[in-house]
Amino acid sequence: MLFWILAVSIPIYAAALYMSYQATAQRLEAGAARDADELATQLASSLDTVIRPIEGGVRTVARQLEEVNPPPEQYPLRIRGILAAWPEVYGSTIAVEVREDEPGSRPFAPYYYRRGAAVAYSDLAAESYGYSRLKWYREAADTQQPVWSTPYFDAGGGETWMVTYSVPFFRKGPADQRLFAGVITADLALDWVRNAARDLSLGPFDTGWLVSPPSDQAFMAHIGRADSHKAAGAVSFQEVARTEAEKMLARGASFALLPRRVAGEPTYLAVRNLETLDWRVILVMPRKTLLSEARGLLKRQLWLGAAGLLLLTVAISLIAAGISRPIHALAESVRTAEEGNLDFQLPDVTSRDETGVLAVALRRLRDSLKTHVQLRAESLAAESRLEHELHIAASIQQSMLPRGDSAAQPRAARVAAALVPAKQVGGDFYDYFVSRDGNLLFAVGDVSDKGIPAALFMARVTGLLRVLGNTGNSPERLLAEINARLVAGNDACMFVTVGCGVLDLSNGLLKYASAGHEPPLVRRVDGSAHPLRTESGTAIGIDAPVDYLLSQAFIAPGDTLVLYTDGVTEAESHDRVQCGADRLARLLGEPGAQDPSALVQRVIDSVGRPAAEFHASDDVTVLAVNLQPPAVTSRRDAAGEYWRIEAVASPNGIRQVQLWLRAILAARNVSPERMADVELTTEELLTNIVRENTSRGGSVEVAVECLLSADAITLTFRDSGKPFDPLAHAPPDLAQDIADRAIGGLGIFIVRELADAVNYSFRDGRNVLEIRLRRTPVPKGVSP
Amino acid sequence: MSLKILLEQENPPVIALEGRLDSNTAPDLDRMLDRVLAKKGIPRIVFQLGDLDYLSSAGIRCFVRARKAIEPHGGKVAIVNPQPGVQKVLDIVKAIPAGGVFKSVAELDAYLDEMQRKVREGE
Repeated sequence: MLFWILAVSIPIYAAALYMSYQATAQRLEAGAARDADELATQLASSLDTVIRPIEGGVRTVARQLEEVNPPPEQYPLRIRGILAAWPEVYGSTIAVEVREDEPGSRPFAPYYYRRGAAVAYSDLAAESYGYSRLKWYREAADTQQPVWSTPYFDAGGGETWMVTYSVPFFRKGPADQRLFAGVITADLALDWVRNAARDLSLGPFDTGWLVSPPSDQAFMAHIGRADSHKAAGAVSFQEVARTEAEKMLARGASFALLPRRVAGEPTYLAVRNLETLDWRVILVMPRKTLLSEARGLLKRQLWLGAAGLLLLTVAISLIAAGISRPIHALAESVRTAEEGNLDFQLPDVTSRDETGVLAVALRRLRDSLKTHVQLRAESLAAESRLEHELHIAASIQQSMLPRGDSAAQPRAARVAAALVPAKQVGGDFYDYFVSRDGNLLFAVGDVSDKGIPAALFMARVTGLLRVLGNTGNSPERLLAEINARLVAGNDACMFVTVGCGVLDLSNGLLKYASAGHEPPLVRRVDGSAHPLRTESGTAIGIDAPVDYLLSQAFIAPGDTLVLYTDGVTEAESHDRVQCGADRLARLLGEPGAQDPSALVQRVIDSVGRPAAEFHASDDVTVLAVNLQPPAVTSRRDAAGEYWRIEAVASPNGIRQVQLWLRAILAARNVSPERMADVELTTEELLTNIVRENTSRGGSVEVAVECLLSADAITLTFRDSGKPFDPLAHAPPDLAQDIADRAIGGLGIFIVRELADAVNYSFRDGRNVLEIRLRRTPVPKGVSP
Repeated sequence: MSLKILLEQENPPVIALEGRLDSNTAPDLDRMLDRVLAKKGIPRIVFQLGDLDYLSSAGIRCFVRARKAIEPHGGKVAIVNPQPGVQKVLDIVKAIPAGGVFKSVAELDAYLDEMQRKVREGE
């Protein structure tokens, strides 16, 4: 925090300082221009004050000469008067103009000048001097105006460096005209000028010069006693300053920044002309000096700022510590909560500032967290209790299903079933048992919901099924009864689809009724599976009374009835294709073990497992009933389906063979007429064998085989009786009335008439009689 | 599945058969015939087969036995209303002579009336 506060405040402070410095510098610069101007004016005028009276004096003498026109003998007196009057004047002369047109006119120029405290004389009219050619004389003579000379060394005269103020004077000519008479002068020694400059004060400026106008003999005098500015003392710089000053004068400027730096410093220049002498006062000031005041101010502000920042830092540290100490303490106590201790004590922060607010909030958080954790623990306990109860419910539900062990298996059939609930407890169920009349009752159902309510409803259904089914009710009546009981008081509006079958284990007759359930599949001996033709009624629990329709069909020994719930057919593959009854039928026909438990397992493996081809989102139930009378074996043969029925050589044994054959042929949709032919054939042939058996004391073994191909029924009768070829007997003479014939041989005659082919052989100690009948009888002529 | 034998009329006997007439049940019919044939001079025996589902050679023997018992004395055996399966068996073995099978009782009655008229005319 401290860092950030400083990081922000320091740049702001620096910017403020910079702006203040700039403003001060600007103000100082403006002030300096004003000061420089004033100083230059002041310096110039202090010199002018001295020089102006001299000019006035000389001009007065010139006027007197014109008015009085004294004789030249009096000139020295007047000259000495000038020297006496103005001690600053070095020397003076009155030089007379030589007029060619006046005879007797000759050069005359007495010159008096100071030498030490005395006044010396020199005659400028001497040939060697020749004043009339000299500059100081010629300018005044030519311009007829008072004029200051540029500095020059007065050789032969004053013998020193000087400047001369020359004023022309006149006299009246013969025609009263104004005639130029000569020049009166006053010299100022440059030494005096130098001293006068030295006596001036520079004020805040570094350097200043008194400079003569540009000429061959330029002269510069330092103003002030010291020349503190080294660079300013350099001759080159003096030249630069002087040139620049002339430029400034030319454009009327008095204060400006030099175009180039002096000793690396931007430098200001101030210039001012004297009013008397055409000389300039030049002042030089480096910007540094000008801004030194501003810098001093800046330095003070910097120190003050630094001190302020230091104070700020200390203050912030103290305040921050005041805030962070309780926050650290809070954080420390909250850290103990990470270890699961929600009884941590929060430090007693009572202040009403943000920290106090935070502490109150944390305290609330801790308390609500504690409450939440406690509630969560309670709900977890309740959940696990519920889970436990569900577990028990599931096991109770499983126990309501018949066990698949051999004790529950009927003698003439094998039953297998599986139920995979989508949740712990499901709404599907299956049941099977042998009722009191010896029939196998089986049912599969699907309650309209899942979970506990469905399980309870399912329990009622199975209970009723057991009680009512045991009394030998036909399935359609059974469903109607259960429906009537469940509709009454079905406030939960639950319903269940049930498929219920009663299979007569002695003859393969199936009675089946459906309450809104999927039709079962019949898997034949050859592996093909077909839906059973059924009529379905309303699901149980919806309406009452309902008359359910009874469907009857024969199941061939070896066939397997497969009942299932829609959890199987509605299971979806990963690309959302439903399994469907067709796929289920193909699945049942796949090669491999064909016993009911293998078939059930195959279905469950395909739809009821997490990694299966199809994923079931509902309960999955499969029940398979395989009719398997002990006396009958079946298999798939190259030519078709094959059955072998071991017969007991007795009238009842014959009947039983007939029943199984009827079941086989009816299950394969053989016409009733053909079935009657087969029944008759069987009876006629077996009756003979039984008769034989009776005569031999009951030791004959008989078996009837049935091979069902696409177009024919082939029955093979094998018996261990003594070799006997029934075909060897001559057929009865039908022309003769039966009343006159011997009774006997009628049976075999009927058989031969019915069959399309009959063949006898004796093989492996067995009489083998093979009877072939077309599936569809061909009308044949019966001999009259 | 067995045989029900109903003696609908004593004289002349009308026997209705219901169910299966096969080697198992033929002895039952034989016992009934024993009783019926004990009387002499029976003009005819009528078998009502409308409810007979099944007939095997054993049953045919019963009919043949009845014929053998009464035909020598001018008696006749009439079969009424056999189902197709039964008719087929009867046809195969020609157990009943032509004119001995009637579709219904009415047809039989009409036949009998005709016979009586012929007898009267012959007298």
